[in-house]
Amino acid sequence: MTHKETSRRDFLKKLAIGGGGVVILGKYHFLFGNEPTNGLLKAIVVDFDKCTGCRTCETVCSAFHHPVQIDGEQLNGLGNPKLGNIQVYHFNPDVDIPSVCANCPDTPCVNACPVTADPKAIRKSIYRDQLTQAIRTNHDVCISCGSCADACNTERTGVIKMNPKTNHPEHICDQCGGDPQCVKYCPFGALSFKDVDIKGAYFGLSPQEIAEKLFERYYEAEEVING
Amino acid sequence: MGQYGILLDINLTTKEIKKTPVSKSDLKNFLGGRGLGMKILWDRIKKPGLNPMSPENPLCFMPGPFSGLPIPSSSRTTVVTKSPRTSPENKKYEHSSTVSYANMGGFFGPEVKFAGYDGIVVLGKASSPVYILIEDDKVEIKSALSYWGMGTDSFDKALIEKYGKEYQSCYIGQGGENLVPYASILNTAARAAGRGGVGAVMGSKNLKAIVVKGTKQPQLAKHKMYLELLEKARTAFREDIEGVEYWRSGGTAHALQNSSNNGTMAVRNYREGTFKEVEMINTKSARTQIWKRDFACFSCQLACKKSGFAKGAYGGVVHDGPEYETGTMLGANLLISDLAGLNKMIAICDDYGIDIITTGGVLGFLMEAREKGMIDLTFLDGIDLTWGNVDASIEMIHKIARRQGIGKIASLGVKALAQKIGKGSEEFAIHVKGHELAAWNVNVNAERMMITYATANRGACHLNSSSFSRQNNSAIQDSLGACSFAGGWYKNDISYRKFIEAITGEEHTDEEFNQIGERVFNLEKMFNYREGFTRADDKLPERFFKDAHTYGKGKDVLASHADFDKWIEKYYTERGWDLQTSMPKSEKLAQLGLEFTL
Ligand code: SF4
Ligand code: SF4
Repeated sequence: MTHKETSRRDFLKKLAIGGGGVVILGKYHFLFGNEPTNGLLKAIVVDFDKCTGCRTCETVCSAFHHPVQIDGEQLNGLGNPKLGNIQVYHFNPDVDIPSVCANCPDTPCVNACPVTADPKAIRKSIYRDQLTQAIRTNHDVCISCGSCADACNTERTGVIKMNPKTNHPEHICDQCGGDPQCVKYCPFGALSFKDVDIKGAYFGLSPQEIAEKLFERYYEAEEVING
Repeated sequence: MGQYGILLDINLTTKEIKKTPVSKSDLKNFLGGRGLGMKILWDRIKKPGLNPMSPENPLCFMPGPFSGLPIPSSSRTTVVTKSPRTSPENKKYEHSSTVSYANMGGFFGPEVKFAGYDGIVVLGKASSPVYILIEDDKVEIKSALSYWGMGTDSFDKALIEKYGKEYQSCYIGQGGENLVPYASILNTAARAAGRGGVGAVMGSKNLKAIVVKGTKQPQLAKHKMYLELLEKARTAFREDIEGVEYWRSGGTAHALQNSSNNGTMAVRNYREGTFKEVEMINTKSARTQIWKRDFACFSCQLACKKSGFAKGAYGGVVHDGPEYETGTMLGANLLISDLAGLNKMIAICDDYGIDIITTGGVLGFLMEAREKGMIDLTFLDGIDLTWGNVDASIEMIHKIARRQGIGKIASLGVKALAQKIGKGSEEFAIHVKGHELAAWNVNVNAERMMITYATANRGACHLNSSSFSRQNNSAIQDSLGACSFAGGWYKNDISYRKFIEAITGEEHTDEEFNQIGERVFNLEKMFNYREGFTRADDKLPERFFKDAHTYGKGKDVLASHADFDKWIEKYYTERGWDLQTSMPKSEKLAQLGLEFTL
């Protein structure tokens, strides 16, 4: 069992034993555990049966978050898919896994961030935005330690990557301020913007973990070629 | 604008890697993809008769101006080179052959653009197996010794393991390594540049793969106009629910049933046009029995590809298929209706990286020759190749890809086999210029299919069409990096022409724009003409003048040689080509700016 599986299992076990709990985030209080979340937290949720791996989501995310100035006007960029916060992983045998921040109620990424919060701002370099409830980053105070990426990678989806040039965390979904572009443009209706459900079958899993589940579901057996 | 004006030029003999500029006029007149690839080929192959398997043959990997932009269905890469498959009736040179252009979807072409290139040209031959690794400006030639001998499936897995999601790649299997003349090049999940032996040329250079990662995109001339067109194009697809659903629900495989019903399917080595067991391999059967999911190429809303997976004797393989060409050529054409067996045969061919259309043609030809008693079991190395026999077909595929025994000659295609066997077998050796026909049979739509096959510049090709205007249009599509399946949506206010204006700033009139396709087609033709291909080579096998189908639609229908002569002359006349030689007239060449070919 990998470290990641252990921590994930522990996480779920704690929830099961605790039977629910209260997380305090700034001014926000909400329930998690056996009850569904109360709707305060939302995230992009993937229907893997519908995803075709077309990568449109990557391109619209990238275009929206990397605008360009043309004749004094701010316009969407061209959308190099690598710059998308959502990232689609292709596996062999064929499955495609869009991977996007799960907006974990217990925020391992934020917890891991060692930057001492400015007593007035009460927020770390990575934090939950109180308005949108999405995870955001403040690169001005980031010390490039990579703790958030490590935490996300060992415990959850692993979406956070440290930019090799700036050495700051990126690929964290900001939910486009409430109207996620990927959800709007996915041609196959594979994405929806929904309440976070930590009991969902794929909640917080890495692309590899999801792929393994799908291999089993679609292909049941180990595939052999030229056998 | 909209293009870099840069080719990545790699010589595997000298290990020289450089960026070569592309002139503005070439970008304007040939766009990219198949067109620009042809222009490069013309410029670099100065004399006819070059051995296509020699280091001097340029192998061009060409995305187009649409590549790397999320324009719906803009995923295609065309591989352009001199063909190792074709030969004229009367060889002017030992190695006379046509141009070859083979086109694949997937993710490779867009990534080449992201890396900052309008195309990659590979020359020379590495002294031992290599692959090319491209990370934007950083380009390395790396040893592929540990990968040599791997099938495309395990190699693909190895690349995913080593390079992860940020890299895209294309590669050959053992077919290309063993120099099977009809070897293919594949990328992600078996998207194949299947036809015309492009994989053999790659193998002849000892090049296993190109692996690329890019972070760029070119600046567009009219960014805002482009965004507006893009929004409209996305909406056009989204709103055409029925049109899009056709592709999603079955892709080209829908044609299996329809084509059989219409008598236009290649059945029993093209002897018949209707497959009595088509229900067993049609989309309904595939959907209920083997298709697990649909998948799409880069930025595509059609998702015509299907992951097939079966259990049982031929099970345990996950593979895209069958679609129309693969399902017909390895299914109906061989009277094979075992869906799992068919899927496995497709998987094996793709794993080796050999052209499935040609493989199906070769197997069908051998089955017929065997049935007619022209060859015996000894000729076939003891493989009991009979109609409908999956196991024997699989054995033969192994022989071909490994070029062992009978595979040595079978790997040369039906023209060579018929020459070896004789006994009149050339009448049912189904090829044009040495290139096997695709899965659409001829008799029912004789004029359309005969002209389509006879006039295609790479030898028999189903993607060519019969009218010169549609031929020109597909040359444009292939030059843009656009997928022909989505072509129908790009009309009126979201035409290709408008997209090109937004991307490059070039404002073509409709006529000028169409002329690009005509220019590409005629340059290919001039290349072939210089190699010694003339009107005598634009011809069909005798089968299509002698053997009417015995049942189904099109029963008893046959075209005559006189019909064909009339049709081809009509076509040449419309094209502005000489009726005797088939050479484009000098006025035509001048009108297209192709005087340099004279
Ligand atoms: S846009 Fe939709 S179908 Fe395409 S990769 Fe993203 S989630 Fe999958
Ligand atoms: S998925 Fe990763 S980045 Fe998103 S909230 Fe969870 S731990 Fe943080």
